[in-house]
Amino acid sequence: MAAARRLKRVAASQPGFLTLKPSSEPADLVGSRRKRVNKNKKKNWNKFSDIADVEEFLEDVRHQERTTGGLLSEKSDDTLFFVDLGQSEKPEQKAEEPDEGKKRKGKASRPLRIDLILQHDSHIPPPKDVLAYQQPNAKKLRRIAQKAEQLAARGVVPRRQKRLLNRRPIDRTVNKAVTEANNNPDRGYYNLWGQESKDSADPWYLQQTGKKLVKRPEKLNEKPSVLPAVEVIAPGGSYNPDFFSHQVLLQEAHNVEVKKKKQEDRLEKQLAVNKEDRATEETALREVVEGLIEEEDDEVGAPNSKEDDEAAVAAIAVTEKKTERQRKKEKAEKIKEQQRLSSRRQNAQQQQLFQLRSIKTSIKQQEQKTKKKQVQRKAQQEAQKAQPRRLGKLKFQTPDLDIQLSDELAGSLRQLKPEGSILKDRFKSLQKRNLIEPRERAKFKRRLKLKYVEKRAFKEIT
Amino acid sequence: MGGLPKKKFERGSATNYITRNRARKKLMLSLPDFRRLCILKGIYPHEPKHKKKVNKGSTAPRTFYLLKDIRFLLHEPIVSKFREYKIFVRKLKRAYGKTEWSDVERLKDNKPTYKLDHIVKERYPTFIDALRDIDDALCMCFLFSTFARTGKCHVQTIQLCRRLTVEWMNYVVASRALRKVFLSIKGIYYQAEVMGQLITWLVPYQFSHDHPTDVDYRVMATFTELYTTLLGFVNFRLYHSLNLVYPPKLDSKAESELKEEHEDDYAMNSESYLEKLSALSSSLARVVSTDEEEEAKLDEFPAEGEDMEQMEAIEKEQKQLETQKKLFEGLKFFLNREVPRESLAFTIRCFGGRVSWDKSVCIGSTYDMTDETITHQIVDRPNVDKQYINRDYIQPQWVYDCVNAKILLPVEDYFLGVTLPPHLSPFVEEKEGDYVPPEKLKIMALQRGEKPAQEQWHDDDEDEEDEEDEDEEEEEDNDDDEEEAEEENLKQMEEQRSQGKSLQVKVTPGKVKADNPARLKEEEMAEEKRLAIMMMKKKEKYLYDKIMFGKKRKIREANKLAAKRKAHDDAEKGKKKKARK
Repeated sequence: MAAARRLKRVAASQPGFLTLKPSSEPADLVGSRRKRVNKNKKKNWNKFSDIADVEEFLEDVRHQERTTGGLLSEKSDDTLFFVDLGQSEKPEQKAEEPDEGKKRKGKASRPLRIDLILQHDSHIPPPKDVLAYQQPNAKKLRRIAQKAEQLAARGVVPRRQKRLLNRRPIDRTVNKAVTEANNNPDRGYYNLWGQESKDSADPWYLQQTGKKLVKRPEKLNEKPSVLPAVEVIAPGGSYNPDFFSHQVLLQEAHNVEVKKKKQEDRLEKQLAVNKEDRATEETALREVVEGLIEEEDDEVGAPNSKEDDEAAVAAIAVTEKKTERQRKKEKAEKIKEQQRLSSRRQNAQQQQLFQLRSIKTSIKQQEQKTKKKQVQRKAQQEAQKAQPRRLGKLKFQTPDLDIQLSDELAGSLRQLKPEGSILKDRFKSLQKRNLIEPRERAKFKRRLKLKYVEKRAFKEIT
Repeated sequence: MGGLPKKKFERGSATNYITRNRARKKLMLSLPDFRRLCILKGIYPHEPKHKKKVNKGSTAPRTFYLLKDIRFLLHEPIVSKFREYKIFVRKLKRAYGKTEWSDVERLKDNKPTYKLDHIVKERYPTFIDALRDIDDALCMCFLFSTFARTGKCHVQTIQLCRRLTVEWMNYVVASRALRKVFLSIKGIYYQAEVMGQLITWLVPYQFSHDHPTDVDYRVMATFTELYTTLLGFVNFRLYHSLNLVYPPKLDSKAESELKEEHEDDYAMNSESYLEKLSALSSSLARVVSTDEEEEAKLDEFPAEGEDMEQMEAIEKEQKQLETQKKLFEGLKFFLNREVPRESLAFTIRCFGGRVSWDKSVCIGSTYDMTDETITHQIVDRPNVDKQYINRDYIQPQWVYDCVNAKILLPVEDYFLGVTLPPHLSPFVEEKEGDYVPPEKLKIMALQRGEKPAQEQWHDDDEDEEDEEDEDEEEEEDNDDDEEEAEEENLKQMEEQRSQGKSLQVKVTPGKVKADNPARLKEEEMAEEKRLAIMMMKKKEKYLYDKIMFGKKRKIREANKLAAKRKAHDDAEKGKKKKARK
């Protein structure tokens, strides 16, 4: 408190100091009772020392500076006062009246009041940003630059730069070699089939170290199908086709569709429920009543089956042991039979001598048959070569023929609407030529189940 | 007998095959990587003859590979690259997850890549091998180059494909190798003859893409990866065979012409050169500048008899080819903005024509529409406001039909607003006795050098012409006389056919009015033939009869179709007439 008072005293004792605001009277301060507080703690100093007068003073100083651009006490008299002559009031008023009309016209040029309010009205200039003009370590940097200049003049390159320079070319080549992707649009090509540079190294060494490529087996260069890469569409597929070739193509497409429909119908027929298997009222009733009405058929049927069983058992039991005589007789009969057969065979062989011609013809016929079959089989194999093979789970599905109906055909090239997708056509062609196996698009499987929760905001509405 | 008992499935076909999954495990690759490897190396699944034996008794459908093929794959250096890539992806994911951006940068810089050069060399040991397999590569590259850059595949791949296809087209233009063009509802089929190989490829129409869902894009991208490499090397070789600079550079003369102030409007600087190349309007720079190509003449060998005939035929063919190559030479085309620019420019330039278009359509236009020396303007709209007298306004089909017919067709059928004649497929080759559409017959007659006024089989067309310009009524009488004579001739031929005794089965409509000595000779020939038939053995006769019967049946069918066509045309004409009245 004492300090504050001292400050105030100092301010008041300054020569020519004027306060703008009427200050709070010192009598007030004296009048209020002093609080007794311990002064041995800094906290209390801060809390209970009265600095209002000092702040007031400083505020006043700031206020003066802001509004007038300096302390009033330091200003010269002619800036503060003027001589009031009191004469020019009347002409001024007269002049103002026509001015008002002009002002209304020139309203647009006058700044808006809102802008005026927002304008900076303080007389104190904003403080300069010192750092904007200063450079940290300027002296040091200047010295370094000077030294570098001297060295450069002498032609000496600093070590760090030298190292960088040394590294640069190597880095570049390495980077290029690494980053050039296969589909880089500016990639270069060279004569791949030109003269091969003979490897100077030992072929055995190259082979053992895996530096020589393994020779491709000849068989791999055979194509898996004899079909051409690009199958040209039938003449009916022209954008402006000849009438008949167009009809032929349409017929073909129609036949394909008919075949498909037939197959579908057949399947449907097979799957359909037979009319006789359907429940009628009668059968339904019978089913309901079943077991309630006794039938006499069962009683008749049961004894019959019993008798059959007994007969079967008897048949097994009847087989008895043969007597000696019977055995001898059987043996003799057997030998006789064999003799008869052998003599017959001999006879036939003798007879065959006379049948030589017919035998020959039959052999010839057989040979012819086999030859025919061979040719057939070969033709089939040839035909198979053009067919798509079964290479996986799915069979090759021939794509639909691309056609345009007669009313879809465009009159001119400008109005032509292309049919089918070439991408799909190429894909199917690859499949047809056995280059890739037909596949289905993998189904998306969710690993975790989705859980549906109604949001609160949504709940409130409903 | 001693020894161990034989176990099942330890020898024979069971040991020659390996299932896909086992192969995958053997190579230590994931399934997509395995698939890629197989496509790149050209190893395809194989269907075994006895599936049950191979599958160790099970009949479940599986994909099999030959074990030796898989063993061969084990030596491939790319396999290790695939594994490296897998690890790279794992590391990158981890770095992203931990938000370690410096690590991400470092990893990306060291991304493992691989080259397919050695695989191309291995799969196609000679250049001709590669050329034989280029069809697929071209189709794929043309397809991918038209894709939108929407993330279905790498943008870089699309750019590379575009570059390669432009190079290819420029080569075909420079070597004048194009032979056939067919506009189908799917896309445009081109056929070129490069170094004696017929190469067919399919180009999609512009802006015709919907992306089908049942196509595996990864597989297609893998194929494209291989094919871009292949096509690049083939292009290099082809350019060098023509002494052209590779990568292609525009001719210095053309380049200076093309430099315009509006250049920046079309494309970025980096892309404008490719765009200019793809405009196809100017020729390419050569390594050794040659003013005129020397004409390569066939070596002449002394030949006798049949060889002589063959040689003559070959020579004739060669001559025809030469003329076809210069089909549009000296003609100046202008393309309206509604026609497919790239296809037409390509086709016209392939046959020596000069072509230009509106400046705002594409970069590289060489002259304006107001140029007085333009001979043909290609238009695809019903009418044009301002027409120049000294040029023909034709529909785009004319260009393609001319190419296929190998001659300049009369432009009357292709004028503005005229119903076009059908666009016939040049890929169909009719055998003797097959049905030939009348339009084709007309073209064939033109090829032989007959004038359209002497048309013999295409009566109604003449009628149409007559209807159009009725001033020629005087000539019409003559025509009618001729027609009657022809009809008589036809009737006679029909009668002969119906009797079934005529031995001269050839349909030679152009040679009906032969001179007397020729006819005598013909008769003599026929006589000889008949005698030869009489001398045949029974067995041979049987075979001969069978063949002849087949031929006759074919002719009968063809006649039926022709009659049908005539009826159809008559009906159409009747309708037209009614409409006019």
